[in-house]
Amino acid sequence: MDTQQELRKKFVVPIGPQHPALKEPGHFEITVDGEIVTAASARLGYVHRGIEKGVEKGNWAQGMYMLERICGICSHVHATAYALGVEALAGVQAPPRAQAIRVLVAELERVHSHFLWLGVAAHEGGFDTLFMYSWRDRELIMDVLEGLTGNRVNYSCNVLGGVKFDVDETQADAIRKAIDFLEPRTHHYLKVVTTDETLIGRTRGVGRLNQEQADALGAVGPTARASGVPRDIRVDAPYAAYPDFPVKTITATAGDLEAKFVCRLQELFESYRVIREILDKLPPGDLTVKVKPRVPAGETISRVEAPRGELFYYLKSSGGPNPDRVKVRTPSLCNWGTVLVTAPGHKLADVPMLIAGIDPCFSCNDRLVTIHRRADAETWTWARLRQYGIEYYR
Amino acid sequence: MDTAQTLTTAQTLLQPVTVGAPKIEGHRLDIPVKREDLLRAVKILVDAHWGYLSAITGLDLPWPKPKPGIKPAEPAPEAGPLEDELEALYHFASGAAVATIRVRVPYHDTRIPSICPIIPSATLYERELQEMLGFIVEGTPVPDKLLLPDDWPAGLYPLRKSFTGAELAGK
Repeated sequence: MDTQQELRKKFVVPIGPQHPALKEPGHFEITVDGEIVTAASARLGYVHRGIEKGVEKGNWAQGMYMLERICGICSHVHATAYALGVEALAGVQAPPRAQAIRVLVAELERVHSHFLWLGVAAHEGGFDTLFMYSWRDRELIMDVLEGLTGNRVNYSCNVLGGVKFDVDETQADAIRKAIDFLEPRTHHYLKVVTTDETLIGRTRGVGRLNQEQADALGAVGPTARASGVPRDIRVDAPYAAYPDFPVKTITATAGDLEAKFVCRLQELFESYRVIREILDKLPPGDLTVKVKPRVPAGETISRVEAPRGELFYYLKSSGGPNPDRVKVRTPSLCNWGTVLVTAPGHKLADVPMLIAGIDPCFSCNDRLVTIHRRADAETWTWARLRQYGIEYYR
Repeated sequence: MDTAQTLTTAQTLLQPVTVGAPKIEGHRLDIPVKREDLLRAVKILVDAHWGYLSAITGLDLPWPKPKPGIKPAEPAPEAGPLEDELEALYHFASGAAVATIRVRVPYHDTRIPSICPIIPSATLYERELQEMLGFIVEGTPVPDKLLLPDDWPAGLYPLRKSFTGAELAGK
């Protein structure tokens, strides 16, 4: 049978590009036999913004602002991975206090990201009450982050060579208070996701990824850990202040959606512990060291643990004032394969949950927009836009 | 096993396919290989269960370098004439150690073999190499566009240094 004939026999359900699961664009073609999925493929790139190319145009410091905008959820880990990489190339090390603040913000970010995911995943499973409660609780962390950095998202905490702000006792107490509230809530959610009959019906045994598959597919983060693959950069290759404030890898063995819920929720307790520890033992000292505008020629690889797993940065400098190449590989890209492999055999209705299960971040793995200019459209230069910005806030 | 030891293991394993001197820098190991040996090199690491494929980076190495005051590119592993080249970096990670298998190809012949028969998840990275830099990844299972729009002009590779965006004017 030729391919054309074979294709006619199949029924393909297109999902997306408008919010296939999360409110972000991605396109999936799900081949079904009745209700049962027989094959799945993904098409990404709807929010590709050409950031890797863009970074080559600006200087090393400007790169930070661009890269931080790759993701609106885990912006801080992008900036951290980049800052650590550039510092390694420049041969400098941020002061211990700065490193600790980087980890503090990273863990706060993980907490907000996991709560966000919990809500989205519950919503995909039709459990909107859990969605509402978890997002209400997430607001506490958003408030803390805003109090700390001035921003709810894109906190802009890092600079090359350190961090921008300090943490005082008032802020530390506000964070402790939020964590004290969230910890029992997390215990409660853990009980809910493992006992609620309706949710279990959507998660237990669904999308099971065994250890061998997770390992072979190169899964990372909670997606890998829920299948018993203990990959966690914070533990495997501790960076920033993680050598001083170690975390424990949380794994589960079932590899199904339920295990992904359990794994992410249990990770929160580790985050709470580390956050408290850092607040109690914040090393004294400066917040920044100087990094020269020209970075010596060389290459480096910087890996950090984003809420979704290993975030990989490859940086190359040719000794000039701007980066020669910045390659970003986000955790979502590694985890897509697991969805496409586990989907066959499931019901079509399970697909949104399977997609949400890896906590995908489309903006992260897409990075170009084609702009259709109208004849009367005006194009602003960078200099003009910059000037506009300065005058606007004057 | 500590990081240095892990890297030494990779270096020893890859010795038969290494071209020139491998470079160890901190937690990183660079192994330049010939294009013909790429599959063999990848298979060696996979068979030895040495880490996992963490990412594939594509580099554009135009010659002469476009900017002044920059040290010249090292000669290609094939030690061929100095010419415009592309380089693909296959990063394998094991704990804190990262081993990078590097393959260089000239602009006029950018074919590299697909490693998907060994590591199926490499498909996304290989598609990126094809559309962003103009590698021809022979045997990659899905050659369609991944990140760029379907109507993106053929032969235009955004991550090449020569690409400025002006090429798209009027599109």
